[in-house]
Amino acid sequence: MEFAELLQIWFAALFTVWIYSIAFRDNLFFKFAEHTFVGAAAGHSIVYGVDNVRRLGWTPLVQGQLIYLVAFILGIMLYTRYHSQHFWISRFPVSVMAGVGLGLSLRATVTSEFIAQILSTAQMKVLGVSPWCAGLYNLLFIVITVTVVYYFVFTFPRIHAGRLNWISRIARYGMMAAFGYSFANTILSRFQMIFGRLDFLMNSWLPLSGAVIALPIVLVLLAYAMIPASRRPWPKQLAATPSDD
Amino acid sequence: MTTTTQKKSIWDRLEAVPREALYALLLIFFIIPMVNPIGFPVPISDEVRRWYNTIDALPSGSAIMIDFGYSGGGEPELGPMAVAVYHHIFSRKAGLKAICMSTSIEGPLLWDKAMAEVNPSRYGANYGKDYIHIGYISGGEIAMASIGKDLRAAVSTDYKGVSLDTFSIMQGIANAGSFQLLICYTTGGDQSEGWVRQWYTPYKTPYLCSVLAMMVPTMLPYQKAGQIISVTSGAQAGQMEVLVKVPARGIKSADVITMTHLLVVGFIVLGNIAYYAKKFSGGSK
Repeated sequence: MEFAELLQIWFAALFTVWIYSIAFRDNLFFKFAEHTFVGAAAGHSIVYGVDNVRRLGWTPLVQGQLIYLVAFILGIMLYTRYHSQHFWISRFPVSVMAGVGLGLSLRATVTSEFIAQILSTAQMKVLGVSPWCAGLYNLLFIVITVTVVYYFVFTFPRIHAGRLNWISRIARYGMMAAFGYSFANTILSRFQMIFGRLDFLMNSWLPLSGAVIALPIVLVLLAYAMIPASRRPWPKQLAATPSDD
Repeated sequence: MTTTTQKKSIWDRLEAVPREALYALLLIFFIIPMVNPIGFPVPISDEVRRWYNTIDALPSGSAIMIDFGYSGGGEPELGPMAVAVYHHIFSRKAGLKAICMSTSIEGPLLWDKAMAEVNPSRYGANYGKDYIHIGYISGGEIAMASIGKDLRAAVSTDYKGVSLDTFSIMQGIANAGSFQLLICYTTGGDQSEGWVRQWYTPYKTPYLCSVLAMMVPTMLPYQKAGQIISVTSGAQAGQMEVLVKVPARGIKSADVITMTHLLVVGFIVLGNIAYYAKKFSGGSK
C-alpha cells in the first residue's frame, strides 16, 4: 500500500471517530474535525469551481466560441456586490440566473408535477383489481389524497369545523402516517451511514499495523476531552476569542 | 426550607435513560452482526427486480446516462448500489455504453472510488470505449437541460480534461435522444426530481432513480405516475448484489440494518409502554 493511501486511511479513521464522538459529548477533537471538514469542503468546492470555469467556460472561449464571453461578463458582474457603491450591478446576473432557472423549471413543472400526478390518481381502480388488497390500497390512496387537499383549503375556515371535522381528521392521520414513513426512512439512511463508517474502520483501518494500539489511545483521549474543563487538570479553558465576549 | 424527594417509578427512569447509554447500546447492536454475520434472508423487492429487468432488456449498444449525483455523506448508502449496477452493466455480453456525469461536486471523486471497487477490466470494459465520466457540471437543472438539448455544446471534455472527440464511446452521442436509459444516484431532491422535469417530461427517456431512503416517499408519486420506472433506496443495494451475484457491502449491511432496526422497534415499544403506564397511573398529563 502506498504511503499516501495509508495516510488517507489513517486520517479518515481518526476523523470518523472524532466526528461520531459528538453523540456522547462535545469535545475538542470533535470541534477540530468539524472545522477541518468545513475548511476542506470549502477548498474542494473552490478547486472544482475553478476547474469548471476552465473546462466549461474558458476552453470553449479560447476555441473561438465568443458567446461564452457573455457568461464571463455576467460572472464578473456578480462580484460587484462586494463594492459599497456599485453593488447594484450584481442584480443583473442574479436576475438572469433566476430567470433561466425558473423558466427551465416551470416549462415542465405543470406537466410532471400536476397533470401527471392527477392523472395517475384519477386512473386508479378500486374494483376488479387483483389482488384485492391492491384495490383497498388504491381506495386508501384516493381517500387520503382527497382529504389532504381538502385539509389545505384555507379560504373557507368553516369547512374544517363542526360536522365536517372528520374529513380534516382523516387527512391528519394520513399525513402523520406519511411523516412516520419518512422518519423511519431517515433512520434507515442514518444507520446506513453509520454502518459505512464502521465497516471502513473495521475492514480498512483496524487491519493496518498499529491501528489496534491506536484505537484505545484515541478513545482514552476522547474520554479525557469529554471531561468538563473545570474538572480536568489540563487544559483548563481555551482562551476566549473576541467574538465570545 | 423543606425539600421533598419523590421516589421515581421504573417508568420515570425508563424515560430518563441518558442518550449516551442508548447510543452505546446501538453501537453494540451495530458491531455484533458485523463481527458475527447472522445471515438474515434478503428478499428481492419489486422495485429492485424492475430495475434489474430494465437494464437486462436494453438492446445491444444502448447508451445509458448515469448521474453520479451523491455527496460523500451518502456514499455508504448509494455507493454499494452504484457499484452493483455497474457490475450488471459491464456483465452484459451485449455491450452497453455507460456515460456518466455528476450534478454533485463530489461526484467525480466518488465515481473513481466506485470504479476502483467495480474493476471494469475484469469484464474487459475499457475507459473511453465502454464507459466514461464527462465530469461535474454545475447548474443543477440548467446542466440537465443543456446536456439534454446538446451535450457537446455543454461539455467538450471528460472529467480529466481530455477532448470527448478522442473517445469512441461518444460517437453518435448528441443529446437526450441518444440515450436509451437514464440512471440517477443522488442525495438531493433537486436532482432526482429535476431529471423528471428536464429529461423524462420533454424526451420521455426511461428513468431509474436511486436515492437516500429518506427521499423515497417524495419520489414514489413519480413512480406511481409512470415517470420513473423504479425508485430504490441505496439501502436496497444488498438485493441488487444478490441479483448480479456479486456480494459486497450491501449484503453485509443487511444484517446490521435489521438488527439495529429491531433495537429501535424495542425502544419505541418500551417508550410507549412507559408513556401509557404513567398515564394510567396518573403520572402523566
